[in-house]
Amino acid sequence: MTDSFATVIYEKQGGVAHLSLNRPAQLNAYSVAMRDDFAEMLDAVADDSEVRSALITGQGRAFCAGADLTEFGTAPSQAIARSVRWQRDVWGQLIGLDKPIVAAVHGYCIGSGVEIALLADVRIAAADTVFAMPELQLGMIPAAGGSQTLPANAGPSVALDLLLTGRRFDADHALRCGLISRVVAPDELFQAGWDIAHRLAALPPAVAAATRRALREGPELPTADALRLEQRLAATLMDYVHAPETG
Amino acid sequence: MRYRKISCTLTEYSAAIRLPEPSNGCSIDEDTAAELRDCCRELQLRDELRVVTVAGSGNVFAVGRLRAPAEVASAPMPERLRWQVEMAVAGALAALPMPTVAVLNGDAIAHGLELALAADLRVASDTAHLGVGNMAECGFPYDGATQRLLRLVGTGLARDMLFTGRTLTAQEALNAGLVSRIAPAAQLDDVAAGLTAEIAAAAPIAGRYVKEAVVNSMDLTLSQGLRLEADLSVILQSTEDRAEGLRSFEEKRAPRFGGR
Repeated sequence: MTDSFATVIYEKQGGVAHLSLNRPAQLNAYSVAMRDDFAEMLDAVADDSEVRSALITGQGRAFCAGADLTEFGTAPSQAIARSVRWQRDVWGQLIGLDKPIVAAVHGYCIGSGVEIALLADVRIAAADTVFAMPELQLGMIPAAGGSQTLPANAGPSVALDLLLTGRRFDADHALRCGLISRVVAPDELFQAGWDIAHRLAALPPAVAAATRRALREGPELPTADALRLEQRLAATLMDYVHAPETG
Repeated sequence: MRYRKISCTLTEYSAAIRLPEPSNGCSIDEDTAAELRDCCRELQLRDELRVVTVAGSGNVFAVGRLRAPAEVASAPMPERLRWQVEMAVAGALAALPMPTVAVLNGDAIAHGLELALAADLRVASDTAHLGVGNMAECGFPYDGATQRLLRLVGTGLARDMLFTGRTLTAQEALNAGLVSRIAPAAQLDDVAAGLTAEIAAAAPIAGRYVKEAVVNSMDLTLSQGLRLEADLSVILQSTEDRAEGLRSFEEKRAPRFGGR
């Protein structure tokens, strides 16, 4: 099944929902239309019981070259901009999804592109990917969670180096910083992304959801409470351990 | 700005603090600590500052950890605590609202590392060593090592360093994310100057806000952190610098930020 929205392509294959950013002429610059399509599709991913994992990629030469700056400054007021941020909370949808997410990035992965990837569980990059967080050079700061997710993955010191200088960095540096966990040859990227997504789709959904929950909520709890959360999740999943083919 | 032990040089957008050379194996005594706190308090109020650096003199960043004098060590708790407060400097550096860089021109050991841990970024000479100090020699850490170190490098390496007094080479510190750049000693000043120039070239209010968001990310839940980020981001929409940033991008030229 394939549904074509204007700015994001949606297809379903064997339990994997593939969401591919589709503004190749603009290097997949993240626009308002893309946000709306993305939000709608993430609702579908959450609601569709056939979907067990999501794969996010980009069409054309880039994963995502950042936010579409041509649309900036068009909000009628800061008060409206602030309320719209929470009306269409795509980042909250990604965080709250109970299905695992793979991001396979290539070409340019800039600004919001990095932030989208940081909200995925497994992040892989083509060896020739160029990364950067250029917001401060434009008088702004990241607004898709980057100021929180980047230090959580790379540590505050490395995160501030990348944010304050806006410098470009390559896939190997991204790997060392913990932004991604694997670097693959450019012509093998999408296959590698699909392989991982299919593998995650094969997990019992309840196990995948519990893992997402443990990783999302655990770090915010005192250690003793986090360990109790893990115990409770394990107790609810005993069936799957004894009969992994069910689910 | 005039001080006896430390020096602080102001240029248009930056301040450079220089620590004294160690005497009797210790860089930070009571007077130096008091001057560092005063200096940070002054810098805090300077809205024009976009970046503050801290470096050592000669080939040492800062080493040693002053032990309490015998009369303090045998005094009742209130007096002992007062002395601890007089020796604290890391909190004053950490409280600065603009990005800060510790330039480790040489070893950062014991109290010296504790000060460096309070900066936002650390760059190091490839000959520098970093350690919390051997507890038998240097005493129990008192300026943040047991808390800031593990937040930066994780609990595994932090425990190793705290319990064994192990020092890291600059390369090991780079691998652990404790420093973000290293350079040969002869080139360190250039690397640090390049870094501070890059930071000073970015939008200054955005620089302060991204520091606020990143530093607070350690203590907030993700949803609280995202609220903070979104609010700071919306406030920035009212700045002249953001308009200038977008204009310069459109016109394909370097932006000129005024910090407004």
